[in-house]
Amino acid sequence: MGYIELNVLNQPVAPRQQGALGIDLGTTHSLAAIWKDGRPQVLRVEGESALVPSVVHFPREGAPVVGQAAREQAIAAPRDTLFSIKRFMGRGLKDVAQELATLPYAATETATGLIQLEVHGRKYTPEQLSALVLRKVHETASRALGETAPTRVVVTVPAYFDDTQRQATRDAARLAGLEVLRIVNEPTAASLAYGLDQRDKGAVVVYDLGGGTFDVTVLSIEEGVFRVLSTAGDTHLGGDDFDAALVALARAEIAAAHGAEVLEDAGCQQALRLACERCKIELSSAPRAEIHLVLPERRVAWRREVSREEFEALVAPLVERTMAACRQALSDAKLPPERIDEVVLVGGSSRIPVVRARVEAFFGRKPHTELNPDEVVALGAAVQAHILVGGKRDVLLLDVTPLSLGVETMGGAVSKIIQRNSTVPCSATEGFTTYADDQTGIDFHIVQGERELASDCRSLGRFKLRGIPPMPAGMAKVGVRFHIDADGVLTVTAKEERSGASASIDVQPMHGLTDAEVEGMLASSFEHAKDDFEARRAADLATEIGTMARAVEKNLNAARAGLDKESLLDLEEALARAKAAALGADARAMQKARDEFERASLPLAALLMNNVAQKALMGRSLDEV
Amino acid sequence: MGARCTTCGAALELPCACTACGALQPLAAERDPWAELGFQPRIDMDEAALRKRLLSASRLVHPDFHGADESMRALAEAHSARLNRAHAVLADEARRADALVGLLGGPDESSSREMPREFLLEVLEWNEALEEARAARAWSGRIALLRDELAARRGAELAAVRGLLDPAPAHGDARLQHVRSRLNAVRYLDRALGELEALRLSATRA
Repeated sequence: MGYIELNVLNQPVAPRQQGALGIDLGTTHSLAAIWKDGRPQVLRVEGESALVPSVVHFPREGAPVVGQAAREQAIAAPRDTLFSIKRFMGRGLKDVAQELATLPYAATETATGLIQLEVHGRKYTPEQLSALVLRKVHETASRALGETAPTRVVVTVPAYFDDTQRQATRDAARLAGLEVLRIVNEPTAASLAYGLDQRDKGAVVVYDLGGGTFDVTVLSIEEGVFRVLSTAGDTHLGGDDFDAALVALARAEIAAAHGAEVLEDAGCQQALRLACERCKIELSSAPRAEIHLVLPERRVAWRREVSREEFEALVAPLVERTMAACRQALSDAKLPPERIDEVVLVGGSSRIPVVRARVEAFFGRKPHTELNPDEVVALGAAVQAHILVGGKRDVLLLDVTPLSLGVETMGGAVSKIIQRNSTVPCSATEGFTTYADDQTGIDFHIVQGERELASDCRSLGRFKLRGIPPMPAGMAKVGVRFHIDADGVLTVTAKEERSGASASIDVQPMHGLTDAEVEGMLASSFEHAKDDFEARRAADLATEIGTMARAVEKNLNAARAGLDKESLLDLEEALARAKAAALGADARAMQKARDEFERASLPLAALLMNNVAQKALMGRSLDEV
Repeated sequence: MGARCTTCGAALELPCACTACGALQPLAAERDPWAELGFQPRIDMDEAALRKRLLSASRLVHPDFHGADESMRALAEAHSARLNRAHAVLADEARRADALVGLLGGPDESSSREMPREFLLEVLEWNEALEEARAARAWSGRIALLRDELAARRGAELAAVRGLLDPAPAHGDARLQHVRSRLNAVRYLDRALGELEALRLSATRA
């Protein structure tokens, strides 16, 4: 009661959801931003980093731990602490053999070819793990805002993500209880954050080197419309690979000094990986840095100085791979480097000096680095979120599909239906027919990629058309419509054109999670992960208590004289107890403290209401109270 | 064009949405790419005007601005897809000519694979040079010259096509067969140039 009545005083304690969050779900870290006071702003809790490490740790008992606390478990519990989840999104076992070779995880595959990581005998899909990260990001956003953050979100993905990876991202957000307004490509989002629409006309290149992926996008900006001309990239190239180059160097030397056995240990591997990452980061600001590996319990104390030149030589092949993608993107956009007006650097790894120098030399101009490369994607996602909830109509994004879409033909070749770099939404219709009399079904195989053979492309699924009316061979004409929506996600619909039987033709995808599976996961995440649910509830309660406490504290001094001593004491005690409870993690105790606090605030609410009523009678507006 | 907005009754400039009141129009049968973008069919098109039309039409129909309601969003998706396809055809001179030949009742690529006779002799030579380039797997001055030659030839074929289609011949005119054979030549050149560009990119990588 008191809670609601305080609301009368223009204090929106239970805000209606009007805004939408922009979320950058990254390989190494994730974060949220929101449009506020006329600009996008990163949501950070005071005294904490805005970056939530995209790491999930499963303790033997109790709720999973996500973020910084999980990251700290990496060395002590390497097999129970999952990093780089994004690299597994929408992938099968054989796609990620390279990743699995360097990570100490137990992995299996579902019947539909999706990877699952196993911890303490329980299996988790990357979607479920990413959902945990997204929930943590949402919770952090709520704490930063001091109220429950909007559950409508724009989530970013690497531009070069294929259909299954995009679907997996969408499913992860659904599992986290979020409503996805749009999947936006990271480099495109970054260009929005830079406010480049302010310029009249121009060509822009966004070079995005993240933790696990690399994208380059060429855009043209004209009259506030951001039109992507081309995109190229590599979903297996990022800062992790730069770390790996140092790890390889260190492993060879440690094996020589301490024997190869020590390197077999998962904890040692994680410690070495983190030490190399630290060294890489230091080398961005210092000419020399050290890799320290000190593991007293394993009697390892190893250090090695690395000069920037040595590091640059090690990573040169990686940098060259990014430049090859730049050439490809320019070639597809039919623009030479000198026609590019602006270059924008995005992603933590774009801080590496040799990367900056190489990009500058290639395009012949100094790249933009004004915005924090770790935050720029989330900021752009917040701009797009603001557009989508109707707040901004002067900017429009026209993005492209990064990979060609095709159907496998009889000989195993690919017949392309939609070319790469086609502006989305886009659609195309392809005709299929039967090869036997009275055949009622047709199977076809959809692939994404640029290679000639279907087996070299990414399989999006074998689709089955069912319910074709019986006819002589070759008579049935089934028109299959492929539509890639603004999220870059494919939908397939079919229609038998001769008989007009459209409704009865059933298209069954055979890849990825079905809607039923997502629903099932949603249900089980609540049934079996009660701890998880409790943690969420505790976080929501803490937010609510914080909001109530601020409202009471703001009005308490003014109302002090009007309250009787007992009510005042009661309220002050309840306030202190609720604030203390909010610092803990026990949802039940929090609920109790919150309810008591609410009860104790009733006299204050009544008093304020009274004042409001009196002042209103005296002809004064509510705002003046 | 006679059609009127189903919401405000204003004359429609585009089939997808009303420029007067902004209302999305119901999805009718798909028309030729010129009609979809509110142009008269012709081979000669101003690139900037075409681009500006795409941008202004996209502002009316893009799903970003029609997200509140599921069925409106689906309609916006379908209209946007049509606009994008129409623009992709019109922005590429060879595809534009191809569409115009089809619109004028000329032969399509699958019904006529004929190429100009003098061109076929050159093709034999080029095929040999391409085979050499494939085997070498490296970029060289000679391959660059071959590329320049093919690109110049492509320009010449397209100029001839433009001459044959401007002004547009009558429906079913015999000249359309000549256009077809020249477009088939362009198709060959595009494939060869695409292959050389891929070779250039992979050679720079190594």
